[in-house]
Amino acid sequence: MLRRHPTLKHVLGRAGWYFITFLVAVTINFFLPRLGDANPVDAIMARAGGNLDASSAREKEDAYLREFGLVETDDQGKVIRENGIPVKTPLVTQFVSYLGMSLTGDLGTSILQYPKPVGEIISNALPWTLTLQLPTIVLGWLIGNLLGALAAYKRGVFDRALYPLALLASAIPAFCVGILMVYVFGIKLEWFPAVGGYDPGQVPEVSWAFLSSAAYYYVLPFLSIFLIVVGGQAIGMRSMCIYELGTDYIKYAKLLGIRENKILLYTFRNAMLPQLTGLALALGAMVGGALITEMIFSYPGLGMAILTAIQGNDYPVITGCTLLVTVTVLLANFVVDILVGLLDPRIRVAQGGSK
Amino acid sequence: METIRLPSALLAALLFATPLASCKKHKPVPAAGQTGDKAAPTSFARNETLYVGGRQWGEPSTFNPLAGWQDWPVNSMNLIYETLLMYEPLKGELVPLLAESHTIKEDSVEVVLNAEAKWNDGKPVTGADVKYTFDLGKKYKTLLQSPVWSYLKDVTLPEEAEGKVPAGSYARRVLFTLDPEKKNALPVLDACVEIRIVPKHAIEPMLTAAKDNIDEFLKLKFDKNPLGSGPYSLVSYNSEKIVTARNDNYWGNKVFFGGKLAAPKYVAHPIYKSNDHFSVGLQQGNIDVSASFIPRIQEKKGVKAWYDKEPFFVSTSIPMLWPNVLHGHLADPHVRRAMAFAINYKDIRELAVSGYSDPLESGLVLPFGLEKKFFSAEDAKEFGASRFDVEAAKAELKAGGYTSVFKDGELVEMRDKSGKKLPTVYIKSPTGWTDWESIVRIAVKGMRAAGIDARERFVDASLFWTALQTGDFDLIMNTPTPPPSPSKPWSRFDLVVNTADWVPEGQKMYKNMGRFNNPKDPAYVARFDELMKQIPQIKDEAELIKAYRELNVLYMKHQPTIPLVYRADQFYEFTEKVWKGFPTSANPFLPPQMPGDRFGTRILWQITPAK
Repeated sequence: MLRRHPTLKHVLGRAGWYFITFLVAVTINFFLPRLGDANPVDAIMARAGGNLDASSAREKEDAYLREFGLVETDDQGKVIRENGIPVKTPLVTQFVSYLGMSLTGDLGTSILQYPKPVGEIISNALPWTLTLQLPTIVLGWLIGNLLGALAAYKRGVFDRALYPLALLASAIPAFCVGILMVYVFGIKLEWFPAVGGYDPGQVPEVSWAFLSSAAYYYVLPFLSIFLIVVGGQAIGMRSMCIYELGTDYIKYAKLLGIRENKILLYTFRNAMLPQLTGLALALGAMVGGALITEMIFSYPGLGMAILTAIQGNDYPVITGCTLLVTVTVLLANFVVDILVGLLDPRIRVAQGGSK
Repeated sequence: METIRLPSALLAALLFATPLASCKKHKPVPAAGQTGDKAAPTSFARNETLYVGGRQWGEPSTFNPLAGWQDWPVNSMNLIYETLLMYEPLKGELVPLLAESHTIKEDSVEVVLNAEAKWNDGKPVTGADVKYTFDLGKKYKTLLQSPVWSYLKDVTLPEEAEGKVPAGSYARRVLFTLDPEKKNALPVLDACVEIRIVPKHAIEPMLTAAKDNIDEFLKLKFDKNPLGSGPYSLVSYNSEKIVTARNDNYWGNKVFFGGKLAAPKYVAHPIYKSNDHFSVGLQQGNIDVSASFIPRIQEKKGVKAWYDKEPFFVSTSIPMLWPNVLHGHLADPHVRRAMAFAINYKDIRELAVSGYSDPLESGLVLPFGLEKKFFSAEDAKEFGASRFDVEAAKAELKAGGYTSVFKDGELVEMRDKSGKKLPTVYIKSPTGWTDWESIVRIAVKGMRAAGIDARERFVDASLFWTALQTGDFDLIMNTPTPPPSPSKPWSRFDLVVNTADWVPEGQKMYKNMGRFNNPKDPAYVARFDELMKQIPQIKDEAELIKAYRELNVLYMKHQPTIPLVYRADQFYEFTEKVWKGFPTSANPFLPPQMPGDRFGTRILWQITPAK
């Protein structure tokens, strides 16, 4: 039956591969952070256990270890110790209970921010990350591609001015742009606020005062990512277009005397494909957060959440965030795979084997 | 043509999604931070709000007053919950708060509650509340009020026992009976200034609802109108800031301030990611007071500190190197003393900590402030090793029979008496803690020049804590930080030389992590523990000075740890763009503490708007 529906076969085949990739990624995400020697409870105990006497401190530590399922317990729920050192639950057992919990949608409780659930940490950070990145990536992509195509087509002075500028913008590391902007526009000129997401005197709500202050605070972080995206996209699109403009089919079309607008559309359609893939991937990876920008501007996004979790071996948060990133990256890839197949018959043919 | 529309349609969809996504941001955030107060304000006028910084680093997780570690403004603060007494660290006095007076006797400490003290629901703060708060620590070993019970026999209400509670009133006298063995009132006084009293009538039903399971109870966040007795209440929080609002009916207004209200209507703490952000916040006037570390403060526009010149801050603790005495030649006091002589303390002070320290003296007693009377310059000169003196370091090594092999001026190896090569010792410190990294580098440089084979080892912060507690180190950086309380410097010595909880390497110790002075070891020095037991019971000041001198000399001779520099427990920086009248060394009407923090709470009644 599938033979009759090459597109369906293509989609199902891809889906199968993505599911396998997903399983492998989840396994790696779980085991990798836990392979080290560190015990996340030690960090909590360092600040909470300092003034306790030895037996109280041990009791408190046991309570945490039990709560996070990190150690073996006996029938009465007491932590089993050998030579005074708690016996760790085998990682495989932890993995099985993690899978069980994940299936019910429970991502667990943060260790560092105990008793806060991981789901809450993610849902607090995600809107910030999306707000910071989605408009930046989409606008940057659009404008970058337009400029790139224009440069390729117009050539001349416009190209000679744009190309080096775009090269410069895409080559400067994100933190450099961010720090320079904070220094120049935030601290020296005091045109824009240097730190935070909105006026500290506001509470997030739908009101003119809040929205306008959020927009004002948004300018520097937005620009610091936007310029880089525009630069990168413009360079990519420019070379793609130049390549397409030099191909035989375009020359042939020109010889046939087809109208220039039409030729441009042909060029565009073909030059767009790799750029579109890039956009979808960028949107998928976006939930990983713009760590550097978040750090510089103290924007409370997912990048910071992941960094803090990794530094403190907060396993449930690391695993929860990487799960989210895995799912979105895979989904974005999947959508691109399917879309590109639909847009470009050549790829569908190559992947699906249909005639 | 047709297929080209698809990407553009996709783009259009994405662009439409953008404003939606940005709107989305505003909905979930207040939901997370709602405090349940229907009239919660949504904006805070700048001239009515005091912004504090450096006391909260991540998203708030719990405001539960019984949790081991709570977020601002609960932990060590007197904004929502209050302590019985407060400690004035400059004068060393205990100051009334919930308790109007206290009496220290041979075998007990008694406090009398202020008759005006009220919870914010109008009910009085009673002896039963105090007894309940402390008794929780007897029942649940993991609470902050638990450790004091190793010094307490019981907490009672004498008026109830004697049947003298007036009709319609309540017991105001609370008697803390000391453990008859230890007779040490210091930890009890510490508890009076550190343990926040909770309302029995609110907490008990919640604990019963949690079936008396403390772990379940501790999952409650207390973020919806928690009932306290303090001058401020939590009104809103999210991942960017925490805001408290003034209680105009606060009982203490009448008792302590002649009916005057605290000046700021709101006290808020923005949550930034790093010290740099608080520094920028201060310079831009978005933060009024901060406790964060800001290097080279004299170069920061408009930012002031306690002193207007070096050391800028009042030092209260001593960052130090902790040798693990179970590791080979580190067991030898000669080696530990040689290490102390080998370090260039002036470099540490000037290069690593921006000059925020007085010059280092030997011993564990601070040579300035309240502890100065227990410090003896003579003793330090005669027995101390905390001064940069390479020749003295070499002499110590020689006295221990060690030889150092140099080649082209570089240390190759160190040998013991029998000529056996000794292993390199490594100094552990968390990676990325830049001031500590510089300190360790300077120490290593000095030690190698003096012929001690030491190297730095920077480790991940979480591995660092494990290593510190289990003894998995040759030497490690750490600062023993007892709270500002009447028990200093005894409590600092306790963190360094306590042998009561001595366990072998691999198991955890939270005090004396270098495992010094094992009571079962033949080389055990009993005098340390004897003095530590005697000092809290000494009433006569001359006697006390004598005992501290002996203890400090003992410490210098054995050098169980190697002090490096002095440091403030909390830094204190402020700007006067919006609020003025903060205390400074020139006008020290209050100590350099954050407004809201312990005794620093009173700053809130003293500052005034700058315009």
